[in-house]
Amino acid sequence: MKTIVLLSDARNPVSGRAQLSRLEAQAIGLAADLDETPQGLHVGPGEEGVAAGLGHGLRGLDVVEAPEGEDPLPALAAFLKDALSGDAPPALVLCGRRGEGGLETGLVPYLLAEALGLPILADAVAMRPGEAPGTLVVDQAMAKGARRRITARLPAIVTVHPLSSPPQPFAFGRMRRGDIRRHAAAVCEVPVDVGAGERPHRARPKLMRTAGTASGGANLHVGPEPEEAARLILAYLEENGIRGYGRG
Amino acid sequence: MTAAAFLPWLVVAMLLVAAVQIGRRVRLWRGGKPATVDWFAGLKALPKRYLVDVHHVVDRDKSASRMHVPTAGGLVLACGLLGFGLVPAITASRLYWALVALAFLVMGAGVVLEARRRYPRALPRLSLGLWQRLPVHLGVFAAGGFLTALLAALGNPLPALSFVLFFPAAAAGLALAATTASGPMRHALAGATHLVAHPRPPRFEHQAAKGDTTGLRPLDLEADKLGAETPADFAWNRLLAFDACVQCGRCEAACPAFAAGQPLSPKHLIADLAAASGGGHARPYAGNPYPNERAIGGAAGMHAPIVSPDGIVHPDTLWSCTTCRACVEECPMMIEHVDAIVDLRRYQTLELGALPLKAEEPLANYRGCDEPSGRPLYERTDFAAGLSLPRIVERGEAEVLLWLGQAAYDLRGQRTLKALIQTLNAAGVDFAVLGGQERDCGDLARRLGDEATFQRLATANIEILSRYRFSRILTADPHALHVIRNEYPAFGGSYEVVHHTAFLAELVESGRLAPASLAGRTITYHDPCYLGRYNGEVEAPRALLDALGLERREMARSGKRSMCCGGGGGAPSADIPGDTRIPDIRMVQVKETGAKTVAVACPQCTAMLEGVTGERPEVKDVAELLWEAIEAGRRKPAGAAPTRELQPA
Ligand code: SF4
Ligand code: SF4
Repeated sequence: MKTIVLLSDARNPVSGRAQLSRLEAQAIGLAADLDETPQGLHVGPGEEGVAAGLGHGLRGLDVVEAPEGEDPLPALAAFLKDALSGDAPPALVLCGRRGEGGLETGLVPYLLAEALGLPILADAVAMRPGEAPGTLVVDQAMAKGARRRITARLPAIVTVHPLSSPPQPFAFGRMRRGDIRRHAAAVCEVPVDVGAGERPHRARPKLMRTAGTASGGANLHVGPEPEEAARLILAYLEENGIRGYGRG
Repeated sequence: MTAAAFLPWLVVAMLLVAAVQIGRRVRLWRGGKPATVDWFAGLKALPKRYLVDVHHVVDRDKSASRMHVPTAGGLVLACGLLGFGLVPAITASRLYWALVALAFLVMGAGVVLEARRRYPRALPRLSLGLWQRLPVHLGVFAAGGFLTALLAALGNPLPALSFVLFFPAAAAGLALAATTASGPMRHALAGATHLVAHPRPPRFEHQAAKGDTTGLRPLDLEADKLGAETPADFAWNRLLAFDACVQCGRCEAACPAFAAGQPLSPKHLIADLAAASGGGHARPYAGNPYPNERAIGGAAGMHAPIVSPDGIVHPDTLWSCTTCRACVEECPMMIEHVDAIVDLRRYQTLELGALPLKAEEPLANYRGCDEPSGRPLYERTDFAAGLSLPRIVERGEAEVLLWLGQAAYDLRGQRTLKALIQTLNAAGVDFAVLGGQERDCGDLARRLGDEATFQRLATANIEILSRYRFSRILTADPHALHVIRNEYPAFGGSYEVVHHTAFLAELVESGRLAPASLAGRTITYHDPCYLGRYNGEVEAPRALLDALGLERREMARSGKRSMCCGGGGGAPSADIPGDTRIPDIRMVQVKETGAKTVAVACPQCTAMLEGVTGERPEVKDVAELLWEAIEAGRRKPAGAAPTRELQPA
């Protein structure tokens, strides 16, 4: 299944140099299991940093030129719209959760899905083609280590969770041989809602847990019998969903 | 017609058989990549390379040189003399046959000495199988030849007996000739040709720059395939080198990874590489197996991948090597094991990314921030807060540029560097550091096969260095020393690099430092591989220790034949499990000397040896010992120079 992995402009937190985000490298790994020739897509001033994706398993990389700091969304939407209406439309668009440059909102996948009218699934840890053609079975990571299996109809956008399998190791030779195609920024005809609504920061009260997390009170047991103590601890863990019997 | 008259024809027949067999190997060598070989110079140098360089190594094991000189000499002499026997007039001379008999006798004597090494029980490092039968074949050939020639010299009194003696000699001689393709006798021609066409001819010139003899060669990053995957990816004279191996096992006996039970034996590896081009071992390998041998598929061939779980060498074998060069130092056939290992690693890393999981992390850090530890470059000098440590960027020049290296990020390494910096200040040396402009020298990346990263760092460092004026680079890290001194010139940066032990020895000798005597303490000195073997610097650190009045005891393995601490070549990053750890073995050797302190001269050695648990001698860098002596000298009131900076807390 033809897969495109979106590559953001990530920065190394130590050196500040452009690099490939680890999560996107993981996305490439997932893509490589589904597609023998996964392709990358990046919007930005150049391929520095993202070219490493080729070393991690991408076979080709499209770079749409855009000045530094420009919102990549319109160009991404335009490129994907073209691709989706072309002869070999991609079935799957994979991306990380958010860019790693420092100022990203994490909204790009959602706004993109909206602009393209595609379904979006968040936090995939594993994927395989569904039994029915044109579907994809995605294991989604939930809070506290839980997993949910979902079958999605393609084409779709899927974001990848850091708990998915580690990326394929980097190989310089593969990067060197990978195919980089540069495109001039196209005029975007897809309506994109970039005015995602800014509002001033307002301090909000912290969300509190409801199920007996407060220390002391009813949960304070002084000098219980060891058996009793163990039972209480297990009950506490279960109440909070940290450990569940018979629930896998 | 006497039996002796057939001896010359036997030699002709043996030569023909050998020629056919060698021809088969030559075809395989031709399958390798081209290499530039100066045949004329090689041939001219052959006698010296053989009689001096090879003999020097062989002679370290006296039983080997004593057996090889008469055996090979007698064999060559007897066969040469028998060549003249093709002229009928000569065979009529009894004196001629007496000479032939004498040559066979000399050979026989050598064979007896050889047999003593193998029977009743062979030295553990030797191979059995065909190698164990070699003295039998040689012995029968020598004895048969001797008696046949002797009878001819005596006027052939017993013609029937001489025929009876001739046949076993003929059988043994032909059997020997038959082993020239994949058996023991292959070493004779391959070994000689290897000496002529050696891939590193400067090795034999003792004045040659070490870069030519021990530095790794740059890899062309534009090549179609990076590194060696199959035998065909090696240069032809490297394939030839593998064939020269005599399976003497000296390399194996010296290999720290083998001793620690990691799945590496350089001897087995070279035998595997020699077997790989011909499609696998012709006969089962009869030496020690790889310790804790990993299962392999065993597929081999000129165009089959060598290193893979399906191939002939398991990846764990490749990643166990510390690149200590002990094998190269010990090899009488002058084989370059480390070059082969690094070539194989380059393919694994650059083309497949197939390196051990833990070794990926430093390489990823290198790509991200030029430092294998993942720490920011500007933090490199943080440890020196409170010391006077000038940065060259503020002055543009300094007499000595101090290369800090990775030790600056490590608490233990920082102690050594502080001692060094304080000593330099005390001696009033005009020095400065690059500070945040110093990138890692790239040693680890290169040994792990990541040539792309190494070349990028080398180029970047050379560019930075070109901005400043200094006369020497001083470093406490032999790895940085080796890389900058011997491997940077290929990228356009030639510097005079000095190790801190040599530099400090100079300061003490010229009287710029006045250390007090530390007499009464026993120490032993552990030679870092990259200083001793790679750069031949074994004297300066010892001279310095002696100048401190320390009682120096030598370990059994020291100097150029020292044993590795286990810290080089990315081995700690690859972390291939064995039975024990290399530093533990080395520490036992330290303890055997009874010394209370082991002096080291490399941050890697310090870290590895300090990692040994339990009761053990103290590990101190030479710079720390010197600083201790200087401080001891200051405590005495007599005219000590005032300190120039605050003592660190
Ligand atoms: S370089 Fe050292 S560790 Fe590697 S094979 Fe040779 S002796 Fe063994
Ligand atoms: S590689 Fe050299 S040292 Fe090792 S067994 Fe062969 S000849 Fe001997």
